[in-house]
Amino acid sequence: MDYQQLLLTLLPDLLVVVALFAALGVDYSRLRGSRLAKRYEVAFQISAAGLIAGLAVLVLQIAETMPVMESTADGQLELTRSTLTLKALLYAMGLGVLPLAKRDQITPQVSEYFALLLLATLGMGFVVTSRNLLGAFVALELVSLSLYAMTVLNQASRASAEAALKYLTFGAVASGFLLFGLSYLYGATGQLDLTQMTGLKYSPMLVLAYLLIFVGLGFKLALAPFHLWAPDVYQNAPTPVAGWIGSGSKIAAAALLIALLKPVSSTLKDALIPALAALAVLSMVVGNLGALRQTNLKRLLAYSAIANAGYLLVGVVAFSAAGNTSVIFYILVYSLASLGAFGVVAVLTDTLGRDAEINDFNGCWKTTPGLAAAFLVFVLSLAGIPPLAGFLGKFYLFFAAIEAAPEAASWHDGFYWLVAFALIMSVVSLYYYLRVLKAFLVAPADDGAAITPSKIGWAAGVTLCVLALAVVALGLWPEPLLALLKNPS
Amino acid sequence: MTALLTIILSFIGALVCGLMPAGAHRRIRWVALTFAAAGLGVSAVCCVNYSGGEFGGEFADRLDAEWIPSLGIGFATGYDGISLPLLLVTGLVAVCGVLFSWSLESRANQFYAFYFTLIGGVYGVFLSLDLFLLFVFYEIAVVPKYFLIAIWGGARRQFAAMKLVLYSFGGSALVLLGMLAVFFLAHDASGEPLKTFSLLALQEGQVPAAAQQWIFPVIFVGFAIMAGMWPFHTWAPTGHVAAPTAASMLLAGVVMKLGAYGCLRVAVGLLPAGAQDWASWVAVVAVINIVYGALVALKQDDFKYVIGYSSVSHMGFVLLGIATLNLTGMTGAVLQMFSHGVIGALLFALVGTVIYSRTKTRMLDELHRLIDRMPGIAWVFIVAGLASMGLPGFSGFVSELYVLIGAWGSLSGWIVAGAGAGILLTFGYTLVKIHEAFFRERSPAVDNQAETAYPPMTLPEKTGVAILLGAALLIGLCPWLLTDKISPSLKLMLERFPN
Repeated sequence: MDYQQLLLTLLPDLLVVVALFAALGVDYSRLRGSRLAKRYEVAFQISAAGLIAGLAVLVLQIAETMPVMESTADGQLELTRSTLTLKALLYAMGLGVLPLAKRDQITPQVSEYFALLLLATLGMGFVVTSRNLLGAFVALELVSLSLYAMTVLNQASRASAEAALKYLTFGAVASGFLLFGLSYLYGATGQLDLTQMTGLKYSPMLVLAYLLIFVGLGFKLALAPFHLWAPDVYQNAPTPVAGWIGSGSKIAAAALLIALLKPVSSTLKDALIPALAALAVLSMVVGNLGALRQTNLKRLLAYSAIANAGYLLVGVVAFSAAGNTSVIFYILVYSLASLGAFGVVAVLTDTLGRDAEINDFNGCWKTTPGLAAAFLVFVLSLAGIPPLAGFLGKFYLFFAAIEAAPEAASWHDGFYWLVAFALIMSVVSLYYYLRVLKAFLVAPADDGAAITPSKIGWAAGVTLCVLALAVVALGLWPEPLLALLKNPS
Repeated sequence: MTALLTIILSFIGALVCGLMPAGAHRRIRWVALTFAAAGLGVSAVCCVNYSGGEFGGEFADRLDAEWIPSLGIGFATGYDGISLPLLLVTGLVAVCGVLFSWSLESRANQFYAFYFTLIGGVYGVFLSLDLFLLFVFYEIAVVPKYFLIAIWGGARRQFAAMKLVLYSFGGSALVLLGMLAVFFLAHDASGEPLKTFSLLALQEGQVPAAAQQWIFPVIFVGFAIMAGMWPFHTWAPTGHVAAPTAASMLLAGVVMKLGAYGCLRVAVGLLPAGAQDWASWVAVVAVINIVYGALVALKQDDFKYVIGYSSVSHMGFVLLGIATLNLTGMTGAVLQMFSHGVIGALLFALVGTVIYSRTKTRMLDELHRLIDRMPGIAWVFIVAGLASMGLPGFSGFVSELYVLIGAWGSLSGWIVAGAGAGILLTFGYTLVKIHEAFFRERSPAVDNQAETAYPPMTLPEKTGVAILLGAALLIGLCPWLLTDKISPSLKLMLERFPN
């Protein structure tokens, strides 16, 4: 094996690891007695530098100016253009979380906070590139453990600890299911390398394996009925962390789901579709109907995440190249908008000192017009309104689902019924999205508003601007990203 | 590329107005008027360019660019005789909407940002030659309506805004489903799947007749919800009434036309076999629209609700014209879209701004002898009411005549009889409501202001009235100005019908 080549290939990850240790080291040694604000600033700068450097290398790798080993260590990692693009976008979004974390100084454990953020990002990068059952599982656990720890970082809050415990126990059980499923998959195929598995035919053992995998990944994606942790965690975790749980970890889990389902042949597919369709329908119902009653904005976003995971499966059931691309595209644009929405909430509420209810945002159009406009973009994208990226994402999912069997003879052949159901549910979802926007844009400023405008800071401001622009640009001009995401194979 | 300017100008207008300081409402309204007038000017230029018959009903001013080729989506625009009257009416109503909102001060920058986003979307729908693009513009036109009503509207605005938007998106959901089915099922003459959203390519190809059976109602109902089709019309009166004047003018004047245009261009244009199978059902619903809308209008006490239900009734004529599936009736449908666009907008402007800003009430039983107290305004309203009723000399007469003649040729006598009864009812409620509003003496004249005269119309109001009434009169007297353009394009559409 060519070690120099290997080092170059893994340079992005190495740079992030270096930054991680540098942040910890500097914070523990030189800054031990410094002010909290100073420590946050330094940890932020080191972490950001590491992610930016990693991102730069990734961009060079995607542009093929830097050499990449397509497949390393017997298929542990698959570094094609599409997986590298996903990894780069995850790093970029991780970079976007950092300024939000810096603003919200909830914990004296500064460097741990940033180290955990970097660790989670690193893990996500490995999940989306890994093509080995064990490697992917370990990487996913790296993500999950970092997120559990970050959820509890707000030590002043009992609710935060409770949510973290809930997250941990549910998560541990789900990981058990996932590992169980992966072991069955290994047992049935004799392979750990996903690229070596092709055309898996129907057998009860494989069906069981996949059902167990759906339970495990369903938890990570917050699919109903494995969603029970989500509302509490979204509400009580520090807002930047909730944003990262709702975006980065979703991308990782969705990418893994697609990778695991790729070897499935048509006989096995027919056995899995009912389970996936049932999960999709249930998630859409639970998420959308649950969100209608919420008064807490972060909880509402949690239910919206459950519903969106349901839409996602509409693309998965297509079991086609278009379906796979659509799922990845959708989860990307969903994550951009979701991270943006959480970013706005984080920026507006970190001086509030308590959970923000929807009514607290009344009159934001007057006090913080820029943030209100950005929030409008993010929420309309989540709701799937053109010309924003969220619409195109949803459209592509439905497109792929119909394409799988366009000439359906009756309503239950093909996926017209599933797409119709998803469309009805998106109409329902509009009700609660508009309710949120009503607080931000319609309600007069003196109507129970509790948010006082505070300085946003350039880093958070730039992050939110870039996210909003990305949501608009990907809606108007998605072709370049679609081309990057399409696998050459 | 000329026509594309309407869309571009509107979106630039939205941006410019949105970025101006909120306090500068005097400057903002002039900027808004400039952008609206520019849009109208461009539509008028398109109209002039298209006359002379050199296009023979084909699409002019074509732009055909790639957008998302991997999904078969292009950026194709152009206009023909069917879209032209609608471009014109959009321009007219946009200008007059600004004129009738001349005194608006609260959050004026945001108001015009939403206003022009809506107008840009509307222009976009009428110019799109790609199904996906059309859908995108259609949806762009929906969201601003929510904010226009919810922020600047009157009583029960939150409820009305939410209802309107949920109905709109319900319709859009149906359209999207049907659109995807058309995309995957349409094939060319040799049976090759087309896999395109291009309207022109889809028009040339065909969808299997069995599939048209179910796709046609899905798409037609999806669009017709926005056109105020019974029983999905209930968003329209509540929405129109709660909306601020400029928004109700746009809603009645152009947004309802979006739905009707979609029914005609997409549902009937792409699925002719389905249209033939379902035409009689559409006609039945259309007659229910006409009669039911008129009957309910007769029972209303709120002046704005009267106009709201009269819109539902008039849109029934559009649907009836489409259901005839013959040249005369469909020409009448397009002409009625134009006619109701200007007259409906005018009535909403008169009731919502001109009369309401003076009397501070819209309840008919609180109005007392307005003919004496605001004679000028009263006479304008009476003329507008007669125009809406279908008085010869105004566009409404011509269009309803076309629709009825068309219906006589292809639909059952019962349908024509029903529509005729609807016209009589329209006479009824128009005259009754004019009497109640302007001539009736309020029995206990409680307030001592009852005899004071109101100030006359302001200059912007006069200009707006002159533009809208002038347009209705011009087309009423010289209908060939538009029918010359509409008919050739419809003829091309009808030639593609299976026999």
